[in-house]
Amino acid sequence: MKRRHLEDLNRDIRDHIEEETQDNMARGMAPDEARQAALRKFGNILRVQEDTRDVWDIVWLEQLLQDVRYGLRVLRRNPAFSAIVILTLALGIGVNTAVFSVVNAVMIRPLSYPNPDRLVAYVEGASNSKAVKSGISGADFAEWRANARSFDGMASYFYTDGILASAGDAGQVRLASLAGDFWAITGARAALGTLFAPDTAPGSIVLSHQLFERRFAGDSSIVGKSMILDARPVTVTGVLAPDFEFLFPQNRPDVESGGIDAYVSSGPLLRSSRQRVFVAARLKPLVAIGSALTELQTLEGRVLQTYPDRWFAGVERMRLVPLQERLVGSVRRALIILQVAGMFVLLIACINVANLLLARASVRQREIAIRSAIGAGAVRVIRQFLTEGMVLALLGGATGLVLARLAVSMMASLGSETVPRLPETRIDPRVLGFTLAISVLSGVVFSLGPAISLYRTNLQYALKDRVGEPFLGWRGLQIRRTLVAFELALAIVLLTGAGLMIKSFLYMYANPPGFSPEHTLLLKVSLAGPEYAVKPRQVSYLNELVRRIASVPGVEAAGIYKTDLLLVQSKDNTRPPIVDSFRENLVSPGYFGAIGMRLVKGRRITEADPPDATVINETMAKRAFGDANPIGQRIERLGRQIRVAGVAADLKYSKLDADPAPEIFRAYPQNLGPGRVTMTLVLRVIGDPLGIAPAARRLISDIDPAQPVYSIETLQKALSRSITPRRFNLYLLGAFAAASLLMAIIGIYGVIAYSVAQRTREIGIRMALGAQRGEVVRMVVKQGMAIALSGIAAGVAAALGLTRFMASLLYGVRPDDTPTFVLVALVLAVAALLASWGPALKAAVVDPLIALRYE
Amino acid sequence: MSTREKDRIELLQGTLDLLVLRTLLPGRAHGHAIAKAIECNSEDVLQVEQGSLYPALHRLIKRGWISAEEGTSENNRRAKYYRLTTKGRKQLMVETTKWEKLARAVACILTPAAREGDL
Repeated sequence: MKRRHLEDLNRDIRDHIEEETQDNMARGMAPDEARQAALRKFGNILRVQEDTRDVWDIVWLEQLLQDVRYGLRVLRRNPAFSAIVILTLALGIGVNTAVFSVVNAVMIRPLSYPNPDRLVAYVEGASNSKAVKSGISGADFAEWRANARSFDGMASYFYTDGILASAGDAGQVRLASLAGDFWAITGARAALGTLFAPDTAPGSIVLSHQLFERRFAGDSSIVGKSMILDARPVTVTGVLAPDFEFLFPQNRPDVESGGIDAYVSSGPLLRSSRQRVFVAARLKPLVAIGSALTELQTLEGRVLQTYPDRWFAGVERMRLVPLQERLVGSVRRALIILQVAGMFVLLIACINVANLLLARASVRQREIAIRSAIGAGAVRVIRQFLTEGMVLALLGGATGLVLARLAVSMMASLGSETVPRLPETRIDPRVLGFTLAISVLSGVVFSLGPAISLYRTNLQYALKDRVGEPFLGWRGLQIRRTLVAFELALAIVLLTGAGLMIKSFLYMYANPPGFSPEHTLLLKVSLAGPEYAVKPRQVSYLNELVRRIASVPGVEAAGIYKTDLLLVQSKDNTRPPIVDSFRENLVSPGYFGAIGMRLVKGRRITEADPPDATVINETMAKRAFGDANPIGQRIERLGRQIRVAGVAADLKYSKLDADPAPEIFRAYPQNLGPGRVTMTLVLRVIGDPLGIAPAARRLISDIDPAQPVYSIETLQKALSRSITPRRFNLYLLGAFAAASLLMAIIGIYGVIAYSVAQRTREIGIRMALGAQRGEVVRMVVKQGMAIALSGIAAGVAAALGLTRFMASLLYGVRPDDTPTFVLVALVLAVAALLASWGPALKAAVVDPLIALRYE
Repeated sequence: MSTREKDRIELLQGTLDLLVLRTLLPGRAHGHAIAKAIECNSEDVLQVEQGSLYPALHRLIKRGWISAEEGTSENNRRAKYYRLTTKGRKQLMVETTKWEKLARAVACILTPAAREGDL
């Protein structure tokens, strides 16, 4: 259809002009004149042909294909240029895709439970943002569940560790103890057997599919079998479907998200058991979270009248938050910061590409001028540039996607332990859409500028053979300088952010003398079985263990401890407690030496001490006694008096990114409570601590093979795990900053080198007139530094404004830490100096004779 | 000629289509004849940029308002002739009505007296 209509267009036009010529001659014009007038009146023939073809709508597609083909040809002709542009873009797009795929998995994608938007978690705190997860009395939960009408289902859960023994082997399992409608609100299904009904009596266990595969090799005959869990018989009722994930908040860093091995029933939650539980629930449709909370507060108020609970925070501190929010709230800010940082990197990449295109534009100005002269409209020329830019951007995006895939698997291994849902990160359609969008957007950003500046080129200048003289020379270079300064400013912001985080890490890892986590080994032992139910038996086992393990070659010191976090309640409201909570450690005498804790005052405690003899740490001493000498003083602990025998130096050995907590240390055998005993063995080792792990393990199994050791790791590892999310942020931000620094240096080098090339003639004249080499070098370097300094000044100002948003990611460093700012500015200034030095030296060796001939 | 150039008015956007349809109402014509007819019939006031005629003709073919056919011109040369289709005839009615409405409306605003006269 189109072809048929278009094939005789040329003949039509020819006829038309012919007729017009005839008419003009009839009016008395000479033949030549008549023809000229006819042509003039008709207008631009090529343009008419193109416009007519445009009518047949498929034409835009045809032109697009033409532009794409042309663009690809241009790219193939300059493989090095194309490769640099594509790789630069791939880097920028890749980091954004990678970060976005994490954002998508963690923040955007709904939880894999039915009606995830109606799932809420119970927390306590003065406000939602300050809320901490805290347990309520299990009996209170039972009251809530029986009476609350705002919910479709309510579940409680708490975590325990247990030893699961079956025919001949025993192993540590991580358990969630469930009550209420847990299966219903999570939509859990059994792959084998059944899930125990809510509120069944204890004695049922459901295995996660992962444990089923790992421990039992997927043997389906285990369903219905009996096993021993912590010396009590349990029956395996079922195995969960492989896709079930446990996605509830856990405040234990050693339990990975989804890392629950098995589920047991809590049984009836009686007031006498004093068990505290965490609560999650599903709201009924159309019930607002606020009204559900009000109902719970009313219920709890009534419960408290009958059963006063001195551990309860108070009705007004009760909170309900969406489960998703609760899970990812803590990492949201970090992810947003990373995404913004990623955008900075992409912007820098776009600026570099725009710079390259501008530099190349001076080579192409003749081509554009010729195209315009033979009738290409403004839109057509700009479209050609946009298409070429788009081709580059899409190739960059595709390469970026490959990079992102690599980055995603790297990130998943970096932060899987503490960034919730991180292992779920995938490149799904939403991520692909994001990548496409940012690719197209960057294509527009980096190609529109050059296209417009080129089109405004003076045709006359361009058509003359003097490529690149005044036209794009000045204005183009001016644009490029501004862009490079902007790029440097962005790099400063990223580098400052990374610098502040590195400094935080230095603070976190600053260890006092005597404390060497890399030479300290932690082994957890848990005494299970009826023969260890009594205290004398437990103590003699542990004493034997410490005595024997201290004699293993390579072990310098051995100790044993057990930590509990105790909350302090003020009995009346007249006087606030000295501390809200403190850590109570039951320790053996060897503990201080093994962990490397110095005693500042007084003495250690031994088995010979009375049970109330206590060592406190400096933080506790300061809070309780100020500057007074604490030795011999008394402290109230849960209503009983204890006596201070010594003061130990503060030591950060559980969380690197927190200030030392108030702690007390008491002798373990004297104060060991009833029930199962789980203790940690601390060994100070010469050489590689993990080297002696096999010997230690063998020795423990020699004493009693039924008592397994679990979790052997160095203190170093345990410590660094406590800051996994921070490390995750640091690595990413650091990588972004490094990439931006590199690109900024390339940018400034490019612009200076280009301006030197353009000024070769001028430099030649200067030298012919007697300018010294040193002067030429100084002139070029000065030019580079002018750009750098304006960029650095702008960047420092921007960083001052922006870094305060990352205050929560820092430790021990203020967001406006002057040394970091100065250092970063210096690093960039030196880098810029070096980057302009190269072109400057090149300028200095210009031979005036050659330069003057250079056209 | 130069004084008359000044009196000429550039065509309003979209009116060329209407003029082409109207020109073809009596019968078929070829490209140059259409351009000439528009200029003559408007007493040389309307200036058809001849180049824009061909895109317009093709636009009308595509919409099915005119058709193209081969024919022989007065001086015995093969030429392409354009003819109004039935659909085009209807469209011409629609467009003409629309144009008259517009012209009246503009006139009403420019010369309020005309409106009073109507009443």
